Amino acid sequence: MQKRILYYPGCTLKTTAKNLEKTAYAIMQALGYELVEMHDWNCCGVVASLTTDDLMHHLAPLRNLIHVEDQGEDKVVVLCDMCCNTLKQTNLRVKENPDDLKTLNAFMDRENDYKGTVKVYHFLEFLRDEIGFDVIKKMVKKPLHDMRIMPYYGCMLLRPREVAIDDAEDPQILSDLLTILGAEVIDNPFKIECCGSYHTIEEKQLVSRRAYRITSYAVERGADAIMLSCPLCHFNLDVRGKEAEKLFKGYKQIPIYYYTQLISVALGLDPSVYGFDQHMVDPTLLLKKKGVLHTRKIEI
Amino acid sequence: MTKNQALNTREISKIVFKKGELVKEVEELSGENLFGCYQCGTCSAGCPFVEDMDLLPDEVIRYVVLDRREVLNSKTIWLCASCYTCAERCPRDINITKIMEALRQIILRRKIDYTDVLKIPKKERETIPQLAFVSLFRKNIG
Amino acid sequence: MPNQDYNQKIHHDLGIPLQDNYFLDEPEEIIQIKETPVVEGIAEAHVESVEKEKKVVYADTLIIGAGISGMQAALDIADKGYKVVIIDKTSTVGGSMVKLDKTFPTNDCSICTAAPKMVELARHPNIQLITYAEINKLDGEKGNFTAWIWKKSKYVDPDKCTGCGDCAEVCPVEVVNPFDEKISTRKAIYIEFPQAVPIVYTIDVEHCVGCGSCDRVCEAEAISFLEKSEEIEVHIGSIIVATGFEVFEPIELRREYGYGKYENVLTAIQFERLLSSFGPTDGKILRPSDGKKPKRIGWIQCVGSRSEQLGYPYCSRVCCMYATKEASIVKESNPDIDITIYYMDIRAYGKDFQQYYEHAKKLGVKYVRGRPSSVYENKDKSLTIRYKNTLTGEIKEDRVDLLVLSTAIIPSKSNKKLARILGVDVDENGFFKQDSLLTNPVQSTRKGIYLAGCIQGPKDIPDSVSMASGAAAKAVAHVKDRERHVGREFPPERDVSEEKTRIGVFVCHCGKNIAGFLDVEKVTEEAKKLPDVEYAEHVMFACSEDTSRKIRDTIRDKQLNRIVVAACSPRTHGPLFQDTLLEAGLNKYLFEMANIRNHCSWVHSDDWSKATEKAVALVKAAVAKVRLLEPLTEEEFSITPAVLIIGGGVSGMKAALALADMGIRSYLIEKEKQLGGRLRHLYTLFPSDVKAKDVIDPLIEEVNKNKLVDVMTEAELVDIDGFIGNYNGTIRYRGRMRKIKFGTIIVATGFREIDLRGKYQYGINTNILSQTELEEKIKKGILRKPRSVVIINCVGAMDEERPYCCRIGCGVSIKNAKLICERFPDSKVYILYRDMRVFGKEEEEYYADVLKNYHVVVIRYPGDRKPEVILDKNNPKHGSVNVKVYDDILGEELMLPADLVVLTINTEGEVFTEALKNMLKIPADSAGFFLEAHAKIRPLDFATDGIYLCGAAHYPKNLVDSIAQAEGAASRAAIPIMQEHMRGEGQVAEVNEDLCSGCRTCESICTYSAIEIKPRLDDTDRLVATVNTALCKGCGLCAGACPSGAIEQKGFKTKQIEVMLEALLQEM
Repeated sequence: MQKRILYYPGCTLKTTAKNLEKTAYAIMQALGYELVEMHDWNCCGVVASLTTDDLMHHLAPLRNLIHVEDQGEDKVVVLCDMCCNTLKQTNLRVKENPDDLKTLNAFMDRENDYKGTVKVYHFLEFLRDEIGFDVIKKMVKKPLHDMRIMPYYGCMLLRPREVAIDDAEDPQILSDLLTILGAEVIDNPFKIECCGSYHTIEEKQLVSRRAYRITSYAVERGADAIMLSCPLCHFNLDVRGKEAEKLFKGYKQIPIYYYTQLISVALGLDPSVYGFDQHMVDPTLLLKKKGVLHTRKIEI
Repeated sequence: MTKNQALNTREISKIVFKKGELVKEVEELSGENLFGCYQCGTCSAGCPFVEDMDLLPDEVIRYVVLDRREVLNSKTIWLCASCYTCAERCPRDINITKIMEALRQIILRRKIDYTDVLKIPKKERETIPQLAFVSLFRKNIG
Repeated sequence: MPNQDYNQKIHHDLGIPLQDNYFLDEPEEIIQIKETPVVEGIAEAHVESVEKEKKVVYADTLIIGAGISGMQAALDIADKGYKVVIIDKTSTVGGSMVKLDKTFPTNDCSICTAAPKMVELARHPNIQLITYAEINKLDGEKGNFTAWIWKKSKYVDPDKCTGCGDCAEVCPVEVVNPFDEKISTRKAIYIEFPQAVPIVYTIDVEHCVGCGSCDRVCEAEAISFLEKSEEIEVHIGSIIVATGFEVFEPIELRREYGYGKYENVLTAIQFERLLSSFGPTDGKILRPSDGKKPKRIGWIQCVGSRSEQLGYPYCSRVCCMYATKEASIVKESNPDIDITIYYMDIRAYGKDFQQYYEHAKKLGVKYVRGRPSSVYENKDKSLTIRYKNTLTGEIKEDRVDLLVLSTAIIPSKSNKKLARILGVDVDENGFFKQDSLLTNPVQSTRKGIYLAGCIQGPKDIPDSVSMASGAAAKAVAHVKDRERHVGREFPPERDVSEEKTRIGVFVCHCGKNIAGFLDVEKVTEEAKKLPDVEYAEHVMFACSEDTSRKIRDTIRDKQLNRIVVAACSPRTHGPLFQDTLLEAGLNKYLFEMANIRNHCSWVHSDDWSKATEKAVALVKAAVAKVRLLEPLTEEEFSITPAVLIIGGGVSGMKAALALADMGIRSYLIEKEKQLGGRLRHLYTLFPSDVKAKDVIDPLIEEVNKNKLVDVMTEAELVDIDGFIGNYNGTIRYRGRMRKIKFGTIIVATGFREIDLRGKYQYGINTNILSQTELEEKIKKGILRKPRSVVIINCVGAMDEERPYCCRIGCGVSIKNAKLICERFPDSKVYILYRDMRVFGKEEEEYYADVLKNYHVVVIRYPGDRKPEVILDKNNPKHGSVNVKVYDDILGEELMLPADLVVLTINTEGEVFTEALKNMLKIPADSAGFFLEAHAKIRPLDFATDGIYLCGAAHYPKNLVDSIAQAEGAASRAAIPIMQEHMRGEGQVAEVNEDLCSGCRTCESICTYSAIEIKPRLDDTDRLVATVNTALCKGCGLCAGACPSGAIEQKGFKTKQIEVMLEALLQEM
């Protein structure tokens, strides 16, 4: 009997980050969980509203939380870093300001009232705290031998501190994950720096420069690849990172993996979920070189 | 200023502040007390986007404190991506992220947009993840 | 200490059979323990496991903590004749001060200034020192406390241990060393540092594996695993808490600087250990990663301090100065090392601090105003610091090989527990709370318990020492009527004038320190051959208890009348040996030491025969001199039990009351019509809203009521003669002359503002006021509502004429900004500053509050581009003005309209500094502030005995520091009075009047004002030098300077030195 856990996808997970979603589903299945996409979800309203008087922009995330409660659940897992951050910040705002919650509930007269019972998990948090990395470790079939990978966090997982899933200056969760998957961790002080976020639309070159700055430190130290969790960071480091090759002589963008993809590879899950075709820089070459990639699901 | 920007400096100069002073409006919108700033420069040193900025973040705060409305013309407040690095490290516990948001909101709420949506090329609309667009609209459009 | 080489076998007859395997090689296996030993109370755990052997001690004061503050308080109290029990939780005294290499601003060697106090403490007859002990429980009330002390066992017998160090060599366990702030290891049997007092090795029982190696090699048989921990019950009248501080380690907070992650990032105190000559690198600056000398070093200030998030909100007060000190020490000896200090403000607020800072800049230390955001490591383990240079506007990245973090001074983790045991409160930061910050800073929240040093809040050494003396004064008040014991009893001295010279020579092995490097037996043999040497012997440890007894018995048995001890430096044990002579009934000046350790075995450890030759020569020289030594007497004086206090401001009054509490009379003279000093002109006192009159009026009333204080207002000291203990003064009191007698003097004359004329249009425009004038107007309610106020700080300060900082200006400017804003909420206030120096307790928080709640704008201006006040041409006298100021941080010139300009003016010594200087023969600097005996550890004393100093007369200071100093000065001034008698120095200067030409060279050179040129008694036409033996310290300067050889120093006469030289030269 599989354990159910409610899942909030967000817009991008259905399009440019489909591979992130598919691999997450596959992992959960392998671990004995069923990711159930929640009913009637709407855009999370990224990014979190920052002005003191703005309640309007909390409506969208709040509505999602209400629907989680409606489905009789108190836990929801989110894959997208930015959605997770936004939902968590709203959750925190209404918990700390009951007057604001009253106003918001009253405004959404066609919805039920939010009672404040939901806990929002980032998928990584869920894997670490509710399932436990050691469970995953036991299931590793193809350890990522000889792969030197740089973990990258970006902003949304770690800041602001109130909603962070790990220490904001020197987080270890991705490094720990890489270690149990058998890879070598190339640590990097720029792992917590912002990738450029939405500037990728209007300030492409700025984002390319960011990608270069973030990656080159690790590349100098022999990193083969980057592992991250946010779909926007992925785009920025992958696509805009490739564009950075034109700006910086001798720079070669290394492949970028979602952590779920690497877990899937290490666990020997069905290759059809990997979704490596969605990447700009082909990530399969490296995996093949290291003898980690396989084309069939490994039977237990 | 970038190609897509539709900012009108003349319109900005016509802005009337609700509380009479720029700093008071910023304080109210952000909930932060800008006078507690020691001008130590930590925020600017940690900001990932300083290369492209005309005013550095600590200078933005100083301009607001000195009631200089030219700060609303700066590129800096639009370059801020709300990454929170400054707010996390500030020794005075000032949330500069919120201050930048407040400055943007002062402009956006008077129906002056920074980004002209129509100017974004089709190809990019199709390849860039939606969440980037949602964030952009949130930050740059009123 | 030199490395001990066990390969060299020494054969000597000690009665201990030596076998080959006694000298073990280095242990085969070292057991490393990674965690740091917790030097905390494990007291409760052990109480039940031990038989109840009750030890009860009756004393007058208990002092918890034996750092510099605890030691100062203990010595002050013990010198007055009261009994002190002082405890420390580590196995030695010294505290944090001994961890430092040098101290600012004098760059004195820290241990050299602290060690004499440590030795004095251990040997003082009125002080019982219990180390490795903690307080467990406290009962009672002021005047009658009972404390239960848990004394942990060191498992080493203190009477037998000689501190030789053999045991540590063979111990197989290595533990992270908390003394070296975790950058080195020590063994499970250890002493904290080589100069530890008491010099008893301690076994860290938590980590000892019980192998017994130490026991096997200990020749003194001092190890005893059967030594038990015990509880000691102490009955006292008062308590002083001086447990000091800890240093913030940015492991959980402020991790962006990479401490704990990158090898080459250290805290400042770890860096001090690197600089220290007995630290893990022997004083060489080496990078932890590769052991090489760094080419670039950076300091980041305020790590964890001044932080409203992820740190502590207060200013740690000493970091700006210690970083400057560390940087200038490194730069002086290594001019090629590139040094940068990254700061927000440089708080160089104290006496000579600003000049020290300027000097560091001249040496080439770079100061960058910009707080770095983060630090990351490069491939070669160097570090890149990312910061904004706020004065140039650039964002930069600097590379350094070694990064030092000036981290916050934080309360000890055990403070809360200690506070609970003592029944006192801690403040919100964890420091002990004082009864009232402004008026009673030394008193804790429980009567009878006082605070000294950093337990109350971060502060530097002079402020700690002053406060410690203040705590001593308050503590004595509770026990003042108890019995006092001053000095020690000795048998009567034997008259040796008719005796034939009989010299005794004792050559010390000092364990292996001397005997391991030269032939002590040969030295003894050679000594025996010298004429007049009746007895010569070599001993294991001359300073040990049993050898002292032996020397004393030998003197008696062999009727020796001159003694030579060939051992260490006289600074180490000189007084100890002199006491031994006194115990044997011999004059203590018939004694000479030959330093065959520091001057011989330690520096010639590689040449056995040459070292032996030199030792023989040194002993010969000592014998030659001792033959000519004469017995000397120390004059005894009685003391007039009264103190003259010059100055009736807050400092003078607090000193008078503290003295009265100790039962001592004082004369308090004040030149004005009323008491009160400057506080009468002020309105409120920062960092609070307390009104000055609420402080000063009750104080004046108390002083006037007090029967032991003789108040004279409109009084001035016009003439004085005499010396310490016996002064005769003439006071002009309301027109009439009054003669009084007193024993000691406290100078509390305060300060005054410098002349403002010519500065910033003062005097020309009526809207330009000084801070004091502003306060008077506010007090009287006559200040007109200003629209825009500009306050200009540092007027007349830190410039060529007056290079010093006024210390209190920043605080005053902020307080007055608040006063204006409270009355006129619509007014806009600007403060123009150079550095924001709010360093005291609660001052940083007060500053932040004022900025935020009153929207005050602070603008930084550079010292070489001062603001300008521009008058309105149409109305120059009464109109508004414009202030032109260059904003250093924005890099722009601003024009600020102002209808009120307030000048924060520098101060200088009071107007009669000159007169007092001459009358009392005390020195003052060019600003008119008096010069203390030693900037660090004697801030309240003058070099001239019997005269003391406190308050703003020493240097401008705020109320809190003034009161602590005033109470401290009272304690110091009371010591001679409570001793009732004084002994002068024996080795004083002596004038041969026949040879003296009255040239005055000696008078001008004497630091202690002990020489006066007077007419000769039997020939009044001739002027000769006369020595006041009460003041002479026997330093010998005069003897060296005298062109005719008329002045000689007893104990170091020309002939006595000549024979030494002859003896030494004979050897060559």
